[in-house]
Amino acid sequence: MTHASTSPADSAAPAADVTAVESAGRLPLLLLTGSAVAWLILSALLTLVGVLELVQPSFLSGCAFLSYGRVEAMAESAFIYGWVGNAGLAVVLWMLGRLSGEPLRAPNWMVGGASFWNFSLLCGLIGMGSGYATAVPFFQLPAFIVPIMLISYCAMAVPGVLAWIGRRRDLMFASQWYAVAALFLFPWIVAAAYVMLDKVPVQGVVQAVVGGWYAQSLWALWMAPMALAGAYYVVPRVTGRTLPAYDSALLGFWLLLVIGGFTAGRHLINGPVPAWVSSIAIVSTFLLIVHYVIVALNLRPSFGGGGTALKFIALGVFAYLIEGFVDAITSVRGVAVATQFTYFDLAQTELALYGGITLLLFGSIYFAVPRITGRPWPSAGLIRGHWALSVLGLIVSVGCLALAGLKQGADLNHASVAFASIFDDVHVWLVGATVGGMLLLLGNLLLALNLACSVKTMVCEELFSS
Amino acid sequence: MKNGLMLFLGLLAAMVIPWSAIVLGSAGELGHQAPYYDETDGVTYPLRQPGTATRGELVYRGLNCATCHTQQVRREEYGADVARGWGERQSVARDYVYRANPELGAFRIGPDLANLGGRKPTAPDTEDLYRLLYEGSGGMPSYAFLFDDRKIVGQRSDEALQLTGRHEAKPGYEIVPTAAARSLAAYLLSLNSTYAYPEAKPVVIKAGEGSK
Repeated sequence: MTHASTSPADSAAPAADVTAVESAGRLPLLLLTGSAVAWLILSALLTLVGVLELVQPSFLSGCAFLSYGRVEAMAESAFIYGWVGNAGLAVVLWMLGRLSGEPLRAPNWMVGGASFWNFSLLCGLIGMGSGYATAVPFFQLPAFIVPIMLISYCAMAVPGVLAWIGRRRDLMFASQWYAVAALFLFPWIVAAAYVMLDKVPVQGVVQAVVGGWYAQSLWALWMAPMALAGAYYVVPRVTGRTLPAYDSALLGFWLLLVIGGFTAGRHLINGPVPAWVSSIAIVSTFLLIVHYVIVALNLRPSFGGGGTALKFIALGVFAYLIEGFVDAITSVRGVAVATQFTYFDLAQTELALYGGITLLLFGSIYFAVPRITGRPWPSAGLIRGHWALSVLGLIVSVGCLALAGLKQGADLNHASVAFASIFDDVHVWLVGATVGGMLLLLGNLLLALNLACSVKTMVCEELFSS
Repeated sequence: MKNGLMLFLGLLAAMVIPWSAIVLGSAGELGHQAPYYDETDGVTYPLRQPGTATRGELVYRGLNCATCHTQQVRREEYGADVARGWGERQSVARDYVYRANPELGAFRIGPDLANLGGRKPTAPDTEDLYRLLYEGSGGMPSYAFLFDDRKIVGQRSDEALQLTGRHEAKPGYEIVPTAAARSLAAYLLSLNSTYAYPEAKPVVIKAGEGSK
């Protein structure tokens, strides 16, 4: 561990750095963060159930609710809408409030919105277990909960939009562009997908194009902006300097947003859709490399060390950059022939969602929570454990999935290899990936414990002091 | 960037432009594609599914089988889909015009199913599918909840699974498919894309034409 020391700049939050934003938004922000971590752990547990079912076919074979396809749908949705949604909103709203220079207005909208968001997502998971998942990647939510989630998202976004409109400074920072983009764009893309897939479904394979557009837009227009908003705020705050190459940040921002949607056909290469859809997607993934490089250039001070938050952000930026390159390379038809439909795709998703998004969000959470509670993190040991397990778990799970995918892809493309033997060939790598997943789960349990202790101390001290 | 309104309009454009180009563009091209009438056969393709298969499609969707199974065959020289016998030609958009929810799928932990019922000579029969669903195999979980383990009353059911080894039913009991399993098997065997549409035939470039 090169940066084992935790500087006082972040993990031990100076009480003076706690602003009125925090005291107004304390309950809703902690509600969002806490439920995010709970969903993250639930998602990991569900994934574990799925892997056990693959390896041991008779495991839970009498239980329709937890059958493989349904468990996978639940795990994915819990991760995206539960973890990334809650944590991303917590970071974005906290940061918009701080940058506006005013206490967060309308915090009750956040409490109401977050309660309905989490409750409807729970109903959605139960719905998936009962057979109402839609089989559209990233949009497996049963149709009946989508309107509720949409409305509760808009309610949660109210304080953020108010903070942005009522900001004292005219000038906006890169973190604000990304935050505002995420706040506004999510309801639009969800509404469009809901109408075209659930309400008035389009004909035939056009549904697959809509699904592809939704999944890619959700990544480029919602998840990545939320994670980047936090990183663009935390890095200059911790280092105390402006970001290098900041002039190019604007280009990076618009590239991601405008090009992102054009990668819709990324996973439909040589499928039964118009060929131009996937050709445009291939070109777009290459154009997006410019965005990934700009982000890495802007956020490179995080590599210099300087505390827990920066460590997580540095690794997150690294994973985000690598993912950009790998995504472009594997979108080329000659490479996709071996990687599409395989575990390599899963490795990429893991690298993007866990490496990129999640680690960036961890960094922001490690910076934000001490300022929200007004107390330093209770245990530096738990933080170090979480960091070590995250690094190790990420390398092991992404590495094993990628190797499994390469082997599986090579086998699939040789008709002489019997299909039944492919699973035996990749079995050992799947076990490795599961071990990696369990390391990540263990690390996240440490985060949950640390967060719970922090909140408990806060509640006890405030109760006794009053 | 100072102007909030410009940011807002830019965001709107960032969502609307790719959506119109890609989604509306594809919808304009394929959103009203008609089935193909073959004058020689006097038949319109793709064929309509029988009712049980339509019910089975709902079971397939409800169990989220698309998590592991694709339903799209890639063209002959691209991958080994055709060589594996998954189909005789690449899948085209017209194969899916009657599907309420085309399950193209994105992962092949299991084999492709686009032409399961039309595979020659390896198409499984109903009994094979029941056995696979009940027992599972390496990489495929067992779906035992799609079957009833019930006491034999009177005569043994014709549909009862012929199992051996540790999956065998207890003496006096039989394992029979539920309605869901029956529709699912009917759906899987109805998956047949052997008819070659004009657009599914590979373009053969004559020597000298494509090169300089």
